[in-house]
Amino acid sequence: MASSVRLYLSCIRNTLEAAMCLQNFPCQEVERHNKPEVEMKTSPELLLNSVVICRNEAEKCLIETSINSLRISLKVKQADELENILTKKFLRFLSMRAEAFQVLRRKPVQGYDISFLITNYHCEEMQKHKLIDFIVQFMEDIDKEISELKLSMNTRGRLVATEFLKQFI
Amino acid sequence: MVDAEDMITRIEQKSRKIESLIKQPVEALKTALEGSPPKTKDERCKSANWNVVHRAIMAIKAVDLMFSSLDPEYYDVLMKYLYRGLSTGDRPTCEQCLKIHEKLTQKAGLGCILRALSDTVNTV
Repeated sequence: MASSVRLYLSCIRNTLEAAMCLQNFPCQEVERHNKPEVEMKTSPELLLNSVVICRNEAEKCLIETSINSLRISLKVKQADELENILTKKFLRFLSMRAEAFQVLRRKPVQGYDISFLITNYHCEEMQKHKLIDFIVQFMEDIDKEISELKLSMNTRGRLVATEFLKQFI
Repeated sequence: MVDAEDMITRIEQKSRKIESLIKQPVEALKTALEGSPPKTKDERCKSANWNVVHRAIMAIKAVDLMFSSLDPEYYDVLMKYLYRGLSTGDRPTCEQCLKIHEKLTQKAGLGCILRALSDTVNTV
């Protein structure tokens, strides 16, 4: 079980290392504009093939690259309805504060839970392998966070219910 | 049109050969990867060939031994098929593809991945 996570993360790491070859490329259509081509998708010659890496039916990762930007979208494992709600709220909390993260996208891509947008400017300011470490670490930690949240929520619910129902004994 | 029909018959012949070769998974994989239709746009040819390669990939048990006998010219095509396998989302396929992907990256390097990503002409 643990080894399948390791394989999934190492596959994503290798793919990111290969795909993160970004350079500055001003917009071809409009003068003096510089847009992340993976978001605009206007010229097919600037885009690489997008790949989906699935671990199983519930978890997957979409990596789309272009000449000056790279978009990574993750779908996190959600076992039941409660985890569904917790994941949605937690990731929405993070996405709203996308300014602080710099590489986070404010809205996840359709069909996924969270998205990252890495541009050539990020690669110039920050080290490439550190960015990849960040993404992979994020993926490892998100599962732990969600299960921790679920555990604390269940504990609290149990405590509250016990206290409340004591008055009826 | 004629080429597509021709290719489909060839792929069917290949799949029959694969069935017989299933005991030697490396041979089966080599046969499946040979003559992969590179320049067709026809979806049926591609999915037919993908089924054949999928069968060969799932039959492989010892991933390490496989690379000692597979020629380097097949690494790129195999990588493209691995990514197609990973996009299916089917659990056993994905596990197998992830295992092979790791070993193939160690053997062939990041260049192989990049060639699979950047080749928009010969897609699989």
